Order: sequence, then C-alpha cells, then structure tokens
Amino acid sequence: MTHDEVFDRVKTIIAEKLGVEEDEIALDSDLTEDLGADSLDLVDLVMAFEDEFNFKVEDEQIENISTVGDIVEQISKGLKVEG
Amino acid sequence: MRDIGILKIKSHEPALPLIQGGMAVGISLDGLSAAVASAGGVGTIGTAGIGMTIEGYARNFKQASIEGLKNVIRKARSKTDGLLGVNIMVALTNYQDMVVTALREKIDMIISGAGLPLDLPSYLEEGSKTAIIPIVSSLKSAKVILKRWFGKFRYIPDAFIVEGPKAGGHLGYRVEDLQSQEFSLSSTIPQVRQLTEEIKREYGKDVPVIAAGGIFEREDVQEMFELGASGVQVGTAFIGTQECDADIRFKQALIEAKKEDIVIIKSPVGMPGRAIRNKFLVDVEAGNKKPFKCVYHCIKTCNFRETPYCIAQALMNACRGDLENGFAFSGTEGYRIKEITTVKDVIERLFGTGPLSLY
Repeated sequence: MTHDEVFDRVKTIIAEKLGVEEDEIALDSDLTEDLGADSLDLVDLVMAFEDEFNFKVEDEQIENISTVGDIVEQISKGLKVEG
Repeated sequence: MRDIGILKIKSHEPALPLIQGGMAVGISLDGLSAAVASAGGVGTIGTAGIGMTIEGYARNFKQASIEGLKNVIRKARSKTDGLLGVNIMVALTNYQDMVVTALREKIDMIISGAGLPLDLPSYLEEGSKTAIIPIVSSLKSAKVILKRWFGKFRYIPDAFIVEGPKAGGHLGYRVEDLQSQEFSLSSTIPQVRQLTEEIKREYGKDVPVIAAGGIFEREDVQEMFELGASGVQVGTAFIGTQECDADIRFKQALIEAKKEDIVIIKSPVGMPGRAIRNKFLVDVEAGNKKPFKCVYHCIKTCNFRETPYCIAQALMNACRGDLENGFAFSGTEGYRIKEITTVKDVIERLFGTGPLSLY
C-alpha cells in the first residue's frame, strides 16, 4: 500500500465517522480544530483504524494525535509502506 | 404490572436498586457512604481531593491522597457491612493511585467517569470481585468503552451509569447540548438499554443500566425504570442529610438555593459544571481573577496557569463551610432540599414504602 492509498482509506473512515466531506480532509487538517472531533470521536476513529489496518494504538498515543497526517504517519510506519 | 427486579452488579446485589453518587472533595466520605450502604444502597466515596482528610496534605498531596483513600475506605468498612464503591474521575492525575488503592482495599465497585476510563480493566486481577462501572453520557460513549474494553481486555463493563444533563458537578456534554431532547435521559436510557440487551444476547452477560442526574423522588425513580433502567444513582439529594460529610454551611447553601441559582459554569477542568451561583462564582465570571499557585496538580486537563481560580481549593473551602472562597456543585433539583433530614428519609422519598412497579 502506498502513502496515498493509506491517506485515501483514512479519509473515507474519517468522513464516515465525523460526518464531513472527504474533500474537506487534508493531511494538515486538525481533527479537533478543523474537523470537529471530540475526545470520544478520537478513540472511536483510532479503533476504526486499528480494525482497518490491523495494528494497535496505545491509549496514551491517542492523546497525541492532532492532525490527519499524524495518523497516516503512524499507520504508514506500522505498515512499512513505500514512500 | 410487575415488580422491578433486583439490581445485580457482578456478584453484588444491593437490597435497593440505588447507588449513591460519589461526590468528591469531601462531600461523600465514610459518613455518607456507610449510611447509604447500611440502608441497602451502594455507598460511594468520592476520591478527588481525598488527600484533604490527611493533616499536612499540601506538602505531599499525592501521598496524602493514597493515605486518605485507604483511611476513608477502612473507616466506612468499620461502620457498615453494606456495599461500598469509589468514584474516580478519569481526569485525575493520580487516577492510577486511586484505582490501585481502592482495589487493594477490596472495594466492591469502582465507578469512573469525567473522561473515558479506557484502561480500567487492566488493573483488575483475575477473579477480582470488584465491579468496574463506567459513567457515560451517550450511547456512543457506552459503545466506544465497550468496544475498547472487549477488544483489548475481553472485559465487558459490569454496569453502565448513564449520567444525564440534569446532574450536578462536571457534565459530559457540551453546554449547547444540555437542553436538547436528544441528550436527555428519556432518549439515552432506552438506547443504552438496547445495547445491553445485545450484549446479553451475544455474550450472555447481564449489564444493568443505571440512570443518574436530576433524580429526586419516587416519580423520578419510577420514570427511570419505565425507560429501561435497572437502578438509579442519586447524589445531590443526599447532601441534605445529617450523614453527609460536608460542613453544615455547605448543606445550608443548597437549602437556601432557589431554582434559578443553580447554573452552568465553565469549570477550569475544561468541562461544563452545574453549581449554585454565589458571590465567588459571580466574581470569577466578572473576571476578578483570584490568582493562585497550583499546589495540587490534581486534574490532567486543568490549565492552571490561565485558569482564574483553583477548583480543588474552592471546593475544599466550600466543603469546610467557607462559601466566601468556594462554591457548591448541585444537580438541577438541589433547590428542592428544604431541610436537613437523614439518609433514611431521602431513601423513603426515592423509593416509598411499597414496591415500585413496571406497567
């Protein structure tokens, strides 16, 4: 999977969970500030990514996620995607 | 017509389907919790600020809090054979200390809200009799906790307390949602009940739904049962009792409060809270900052450099009767407390003498 493919799938999940349009979501979108997620949404999203990409995120890491790019980065690291 | 069933939480069966709401910073300690437990409910100790019960606590609040909780649980135990719980806010910096101490003292229940208690099951040893109960404000929060607990720990919550927008203290809602029908208990209780029915079908575990927020008398209890609750959590009503651990002047603040005095404030903790408006809160609102030095570092989300007052100190002052330098939290119905009665009287008002029924 490429970086862009990860981003696309992340976008789809965020759009569905937060009820926003996919084209509103950019890598530098802040989940809380720009996309309106609260702490509950963040956990909900993280669990959806865990299911989709089959990896684990620790509770403490959830608090450190701020932008969509952070998520794509973490997932890409976990999946060892090519550039 | 059928009688309401027995409330069963893990292996615990209180005589009454009642959990006394854990009111922190000195309001429900061993006095109130033991009295409720002896009367047949679950008595709950509030853990936030419990270090204040230990002399010289400001020097080492972290250690005092552990000592304080241990002492209060032991004192309560010495007064009752009934069921005892602790309420531990997720937002506390010493959350782990409080959970570990309560488990070491073999508390019957740990009730945890004001944040998502995502890692709470990780502290439980195999075969522990302690029930762990999240406080939720919506179906969504119940689902997220269930999914995380089951996915990570294969643990299903032993009950859900659904704390609605009429509760006192910190509230799990945005201010603009507090009045909305969508977030009222009459919407949320049936939804969470449906979730627990699914849990029962899929995993065979009974997970009672306990309603909280604004419950003051028998009609309210009856209504919650009609909606699908199997128990109620009541906090504010117990402040007006002899057994409540707060100073008489704190109780007096509720007795004197009128309906319109009970207002929503923006707490330094970062959540809205419901409290009795007094001069202290009016001064805060007016921007008359009361500068302070943070000695407790008690709440993870407290921005103590910018917040105008220390909420821990204000609540400790209030609990000791100094309402000039503090304020009282209260649920919407707090103004209906007219005099100091007893735990027994409050329970009679909630449950009457005859059995409650479902139609």
